[in-house]
Amino acid sequence: MGTDETTAGHLQELRRGTVVLACLIRLRTPDYGYALLESLNGLGITVDANTLYPLLRRLEKQALLTSEWNTDEARPRKFYRTSTEGERLAEVLTADWHLIDEALRRLTTGDER
Amino acid sequence: MTTLTDRYVWAASRSVPESQRTDLERELRERIGDATDALVETGRAPADAERMALVELGDPAALAASYVDRPLQLIGPRYYLMWWRLLKLLYSVVLPIAVAAVAFAEILSGADVGEVIGSAVGVGFSLAVHLGFWTTLAFAVLERSPGKGADLAWTPDMLPQLPELSRPGRRGELIGSLVFLGIFALVLVWQQFGLPWVGALEAIPLLDPELWSFWIPYFLALIVLEMLFAIAIYAWGWTWWLVVANLVLNVAFVVPALWLFTTGQLINPEALEAMGWPWGDAGDVIVPVFVAVVIGVAVWDVIDGVIKTVRGRGGAMPTLGRT
Repeated sequence: MGTDETTAGHLQELRRGTVVLACLIRLRTPDYGYALLESLNGLGITVDANTLYPLLRRLEKQALLTSEWNTDEARPRKFYRTSTEGERLAEVLTADWHLIDEALRRLTTGDER
Repeated sequence: MTTLTDRYVWAASRSVPESQRTDLERELRERIGDATDALVETGRAPADAERMALVELGDPAALAASYVDRPLQLIGPRYYLMWWRLLKLLYSVVLPIAVAAVAFAEILSGADVGEVIGSAVGVGFSLAVHLGFWTTLAFAVLERSPGKGADLAWTPDMLPQLPELSRPGRRGELIGSLVFLGIFALVLVWQQFGLPWVGALEAIPLLDPELWSFWIPYFLALIVLEMLFAIAIYAWGWTWWLVVANLVLNVAFVVPALWLFTTGQLINPEALEAMGWPWGDAGDVIVPVFVAVVIGVAVWDVIDGVIKTVRGRGGAMPTLGRT
C-alpha cells in the first residue's frame, strides 16, 4: 500500500511538466477546458480537472496561451490557444524532452559516452 | 429557484475583487456545466451529477483563493523562520526583563509576596499574548502584501561554532567566573569580622548580622549554584535552558538584594554610623546609582547569554548576532 502511494507520487512528479508541454502542443488548435481534459486523458496523459483548469489559467497569465470567449452556444466557453511565446516554449521543452530521453536510454544501456 | 451551482458560484466569487468576478463566474459555470453533463452521460440523475461535480471542485473559498493567488496559510515558508526567530528572541529577552521589572517595582512599593507574584504573572501573561499577537499579525500582513518584501537572507556567517572549537574560549570564562564567585563568597563571610582595609570598619561587620539567620546563607547557596552554572556553561555551551537558568539565578540574586538594600535591612546600622552615613546629600545620588548599576549588570548578563546562545545555535539575529 505504501509502495503504491510512493509510486503514484513519483509518477505524478514525473508527469507534472509533461502536462504543460502536452497542453501547449494540443492547443495549437483552440479548444475549451473540458474538451482538452477529455482528449489528453484519451491519449493516456492522465490529468485531473483540479490540476488542468488552474494550469490553463496560469499559462494564460504567463502569456503562453491566449483565450477567447465563445458565446455561440447556450453555455459560453473559454477557448484557449497557444500563443507565439507558448509555441517557442513548446519547442524548447520538446528539445529538452528528447535530451532527457536520450540520456536515460544511454544510462540504461550503460553506454555512458 | 436557485440551484446548487448558483450558490457555489456566488460563494466563490464574492471573495475575489470586483474586476475578476465576472470572469471567474463564467469560467466556473462552464466548468461545472461540462462536468455535470459528462456525469449525466454516464447515466446519473442530473441533481446527483451536479452535486458530484461540486464535490470535486471542493471548497469555494479555497478555489477563489487559488484563483487570485491568495495564500491559504497565515505565514508561509518565506517568512516562517524569520517569524519564529523573532518570536523566540522577544520571548527570551523582552518578557523576562519586563516581568522582573514589574516584580521589582511591586517589591519597592511594599507589596506582599502574593501581590508581587500575582502582578508579575498577570503582566507576563498579557505581554506574552501581545508580543505573540502583534508579531504574528505583522508577518501575516507581510505575507499578503504584494512584492518580494524584505528577505533577510541567510548567510554563512550565521553558522554556529562547533562545540569543540568554542570550548577553549570558554575555559577562560569558567576560571574567571569561579575565581570571582569564590572571592565574593569569601568577602561575604569575612565582612562579619570587619574589613581591615576600610579604616572605620576594622572590627564592625558591614552587613547586618541579623541576616545570618537566613539571607547570608541564602546568598552563599546562590553562589554555589552560580558556580555549578558556570561549570554547566563550560561543559555544554549555552542552551536555551541555561539562558532560563541564568535568568532565574539573576532574579534570585538581584530582587532580594535590592529589596534588603532599599528597605535598609542590608547594611549593619553600626557600620553606617561608623562610616558617618549619610554623607550629606550624596546618599540621594548613591542609592539610585547603586540600584541602577545592579539591575543593569543583571540585565546585561541575561542578554549576553541570549546573544551567545543565538550565535552558538546559528540563529539569525542580523543586528545582534554578528560582531
